[in-house]
Amino acid sequence: MAAALEIKDLAVVYQGAIHALTNLSLNVPAGTIVTLLGANGAGKSTTLKAISGFLPLEDGRVTHGSITIGGQDMLKLAPHMIVRRGVFHVREGRHVFAEMTVEENLIASTFAQRKPRPRKEAFDEVYNYFPILSQRRHQAAGYLSGGEQQMLAIGRALVADPEMILLDEPSLGLAPLIVKDIFEIIARINREKKVSMLLVEQNAVIALRYASYGYVIENGSTVLEGSTQDLSANQDIQKFYLGVDASDAA
Amino acid sequence: MNTFSAFLEYSAVGIAAGGIYALIALGIVVIFKSSRTFNFAMGEMMMLSAYFFYTAAVTFSLGIFLGVVVAIVGSIAVALLIERLALRPMMGRPFIAIVMVTFGIGSIIRGIVGMIWGPNDLQIPAILARTPVMLGDIFIPGKTARAFAIAVVIVGGLIAFLRYSRAGIALRAAAADQITAYSMGIDVRRVIAFTWIIAAITGCISGILMANVNTLTPHLGLVALNVLSVVILGGMNSIGGVLVAGFIIGWLESVTGWMLGTEFREITPYILVLLLLLVRPTGLFGTKEIERI
Repeated sequence: MAAALEIKDLAVVYQGAIHALTNLSLNVPAGTIVTLLGANGAGKSTTLKAISGFLPLEDGRVTHGSITIGGQDMLKLAPHMIVRRGVFHVREGRHVFAEMTVEENLIASTFAQRKPRPRKEAFDEVYNYFPILSQRRHQAAGYLSGGEQQMLAIGRALVADPEMILLDEPSLGLAPLIVKDIFEIIARINREKKVSMLLVEQNAVIALRYASYGYVIENGSTVLEGSTQDLSANQDIQKFYLGVDASDAA
Repeated sequence: MNTFSAFLEYSAVGIAAGGIYALIALGIVVIFKSSRTFNFAMGEMMMLSAYFFYTAAVTFSLGIFLGVVVAIVGSIAVALLIERLALRPMMGRPFIAIVMVTFGIGSIIRGIVGMIWGPNDLQIPAILARTPVMLGDIFIPGKTARAFAIAVVIVGGLIAFLRYSRAGIALRAAAADQITAYSMGIDVRRVIAFTWIIAAITGCISGILMANVNTLTPHLGLVALNVLSVVILGGMNSIGGVLVAGFIIGWLESVTGWMLGTEFREITPYILVLLLLLVRPTGLFGTKEIERI
């Protein structure tokens, strides 16, 4: 089941003083992949943290605006309750539990399930998308390669059987071939499991390839939006995010 | 009796005492793991538990079994109260401030116990048989041996529970990375409260055992200061480490007390800890991150 996300006029302040978001609005229609582009510090990760309820854990808070998922208000919920409503945040930097085995990492994620499902069914699904994790299920997650750790981070999301996955920089620090593999699987999950996705990526080329719609944010507010086709054709996007110089093209 | 068999006997008695150290240390370590709170009130929590047992079993003549049950329930209630009222509001504050709070709670408990039950020794009903246990030629006092057996079974059970149960995995997840634990639906505050429940149970059992081996006074909790060296030796956040460290410290105290005199009993564990920390700052089993980037 996919869910739609709607953010309206969102403003976020850290430590009561630092304005990370000033006026951000976006929509993720049910079952789609939407990407959020922007420079470092534009507020991409903050947007995801606002949705998943992490802000209070980092001394931040929403001062204005609304976040609803499937029509339900998410703003007042504690983070562990938000994920149990079906919104799973795969954090930037993977954050696998290094000293726990792959399987223990997956077990930890069973707390995110809305309705309990048999462990075997959930884990088999993860291992079906990421066969390598099955081979490594009894290894400490800290010994996995970066790509495998990212697979585990996404695998933990699958255990929860979410309606929406928030992906923060899944390509960070990974070799291009592995990035491609992982995005193919992300696209499969979106298609086969009908999971909506909000994707934050530094790698705009790959983000625009796999998402259907995109937003560009600057200084904490949305400045541009459109289908990824239109965005890819946009000269500013080409210049600033895709590394294509317009004068070369001409 | 020759020197060697005396050595064996003191070793056995020491290791047996170490079982209770491990039990107390486990309560300190689980709380430290989940919330980086070093609970200096652990000794007083265990002393209070022993008084709960005394009151239920003797004053209200409920008998030993019900006495233990009442003591455990009372200890859990007190632990949850401490966590909710004193420590949860301190979340995110500096480590030293939190430590001072636990110190203060310890003093308050000692004061209240003194007011209610008075400063004198109380005799609690013997739950441990006195008949000594003989291991070959080695003679171990009955109470010490039985206290050891109970402590080891409980420590072993808790270690297995924390290692293999889903709740144990939640605890380790919350200990490793709170935000990620939250992101996976783990209610970190509940995990922390849960570790206080575990500490209440280990404190209660060890308090009753200690009061049986010695007597019950408001100073019973001072033993937790010896346990400090166990916790540091084991490595602060290592649940399995406390068991080994408990045995080592118990053995060391007993043997040095015999060989060098009782005045050395108290300080040798700290000398050992000091030397070890010079070589291994994380203690024997404290974790270094095995993260690969």
